Amino acid sequence: MQILYFPGCTLSTKAKGLDITTREALAALGVHLCELPRWTCCGTVFPLAQDNYIQMVAAARLLATSASLGENRLVTVCSFCYHVLKRVNHAIKNNREAKEKINNYLEENYSGEVQPVHPLEIIRNDYGFNRLREKLGDSLKGLRVACYYGCMLVRPPGEMNFGNPDNPTIMEEFIAALGGVPVDFASKTKCCGSYQILNTPDLVANRTKEILASAAASGAQAIITSCPLCQFNLDRQQEKVADKKNFRQIPVLYFTQLLAAVFKVPLDKMGIEEHYVDPRAVLKEI
Amino acid sequence: MSIDFASKANREIFQRIREISGQNPELCMQCGTCSASCTGIGKMDFLPRQVIRKIQLGDPGVINCHSIWVCTTCLTCSARCPRGIDVGRIMEALRVINLRKGNEVLVMENIPTEVKVEVPQMALTSGFRKLSA
Repeated sequence: MQILYFPGCTLSTKAKGLDITTREALAALGVHLCELPRWTCCGTVFPLAQDNYIQMVAAARLLATSASLGENRLVTVCSFCYHVLKRVNHAIKNNREAKEKINNYLEENYSGEVQPVHPLEIIRNDYGFNRLREKLGDSLKGLRVACYYGCMLVRPPGEMNFGNPDNPTIMEEFIAALGGVPVDFASKTKCCGSYQILNTPDLVANRTKEILASAAASGAQAIITSCPLCQFNLDRQQEKVADKKNFRQIPVLYFTQLLAAVFKVPLDKMGIEEHYVDPRAVLKEI
Repeated sequence: MSIDFASKANREIFQRIREISGQNPELCMQCGTCSASCTGIGKMDFLPRQVIRKIQLGDPGVINCHSIWVCTTCLTCSARCPRGIDVGRIMEALRVINLRKGNEVLVMENIPTEVKVEVPQMALTSGFRKLSA
């Protein structure tokens, strides 16, 4: 199966590991990603002001390009990109003014027919968790994993449709199908502080400390995410922990890196040199 | 200095908050679920509930509160509000009213070089879209 793929800007620079392992892991499942031609940044954040259509233009152009290629789905793995594409598409479908203004600006005639999809949805809906369990059910050998969703994948629930906004389970089902143990993780949809790393870094320090403590208390050996900014915040803040003696480091991985490890993708091809906490010990066990 | 809550300029500000956010702050019953759920409260001067209260009372000072710049737009407040208010959109309206006047908080020169070099690109794009004019 071939499907159109939008990597997004961070995946071609600071989060190459997420890009490579998404392509490799899905290819191993028989899903081949074809990169969207001439893609641009999606805009990263959805405008929350009712009159701000210009910040929807970048994502709308990506969707319109996909439609012009005759595609009805566009895969993207970064939580921010997925969030923006999905919400802009929702706006074009449900808000006549948004649709008219954006199409006038782009000189397109796009009406929301392309569905943005996340690789986790591809694995669940196209490949199937049962099939994953049958073929690879022993792979993670009981690895205890904290599944971290953060904000962008699940909220607002009415538009994202990614499960219960306080208790989504798709990542847990994915980990369980691979033979891992998804731990009870109370902070799974808490925000890591996001872009406040630039403006209020103390906030990110406090929030990540709480999330990491929650993961540690549940006995997690690894945290997984699909967001390069969550990965960065949760990973790099561990460097700044003052009380190193009473702090257990936890590697923060992309869920695709775990799946790539299952398919024996070489560790030096996974972009783990981008990580502060060394995940090799965890990945070698797989 | 006393505040003229009913002045024409003040009424216009609150009309703009309603228009830009598309939300009706009068629906808020001050239960505080947003504040209890908020990512940023440790660094805010007013809790999200208090920001909404200031709007209900017509206090024009709400435009200048620090909380709007600490918000991470994580939308936990919006997802949990029992009155169905998209609180995140109200915070955005307050930011946008400032940004359109050129009042910004995130300035490239003030970000430490090592942070600029290290952060993923998405942090810079999103941060500047939300916090700079």
